[in-house]
Amino acid sequence: MAERIKDAEDRLLESMFESAPVADDGFSVNVVRRLNRRLWLRRLTLPVGGAIGASVAVKPLTGLVKSLSGLVTLIPQDLLSTTTSLIPQAQTIVLGAMLLAAILLGMRALEE
Amino acid sequence: MSKGEDHELVARVVSAQDTAAFGELVRRHQSQVRNFLRKLAGDVTLADDLAQDCFMHAWDKLQTFSGRGTFIGWLLKVAYTTFLQSKRKSKRYAEILQEAGHAADMESRSHTMQSDEVTDLDKFLAVLSEEERAIMVMSYACGLSHREISDATEMPVGTVKSVIFRGKEKIRTSFDIKDHQHG
Repeated sequence: MAERIKDAEDRLLESMFESAPVADDGFSVNVVRRLNRRLWLRRLTLPVGGAIGASVAVKPLTGLVKSLSGLVTLIPQDLLSTTTSLIPQAQTIVLGAMLLAAILLGMRALEE
Repeated sequence: MSKGEDHELVARVVSAQDTAAFGELVRRHQSQVRNFLRKLAGDVTLADDLAQDCFMHAWDKLQTFSGRGTFIGWLLKVAYTTFLQSKRKSKRYAEILQEAGHAADMESRSHTMQSDEVTDLDKFLAVLSEEERAIMVMSYACGLSHREISDATEMPVGTVKSVIFRGKEKIRTSFDIKDHQHG
């Protein structure tokens, strides 16, 4: 309290407001324990949420993949046959890339 | 309990989420925080629960501690906010109970919560308003400067000074404190 000059009344009030230090008696241990418990819960929340989300999303995701593979039929047959002859796994690669992009976007959204 | 050591521990907590360093901070300051809340709440069990909540909030907000003032000043700000939030919640809870017709039950419970042992300090604190009590306790029991109290309560320094002046005046007029001075 450097900014104010204490008079006799201030000193008297200080002595009246003074109280004995409170013994720790496991208080700090309890706080740290509660904190650790909370941190564990937070760490578990994301993977558990992700797992639940994935299990819910499996069905619509399969439908999405099917409809995307259906889109391949819209690509002109000439182009498709040329690509397939050049790269036999072209369809799988395109679908895989699209799925990867979707997963990465989903992970980023979850992280945020 | 040096300021530098506190700041070092805070840095460890913020940079590495070091719970052991946080435990050390709790060990160092629990007494002042609990004493502060006991004087504000007037109930030991409630105050200790609030102190636990206060340290949880402190963990969450530690990165907002700028390091300008003392750590205990910042911690008492968190404690005061925790106290006010709990007050607001319990007020709302009482209102809900009252609406449900449990007013009488609440009243009897609040009476049993009062401590049997009423000290001189309790009498002094009883004449003060909640705001005056918090500021007087911060000043005279925790030794915070007017600037630190101003930061903790988000009040201008001039207002803090006038609240302290008013609090002293109330204690002076309600009790003959000169008698205490001479035993």
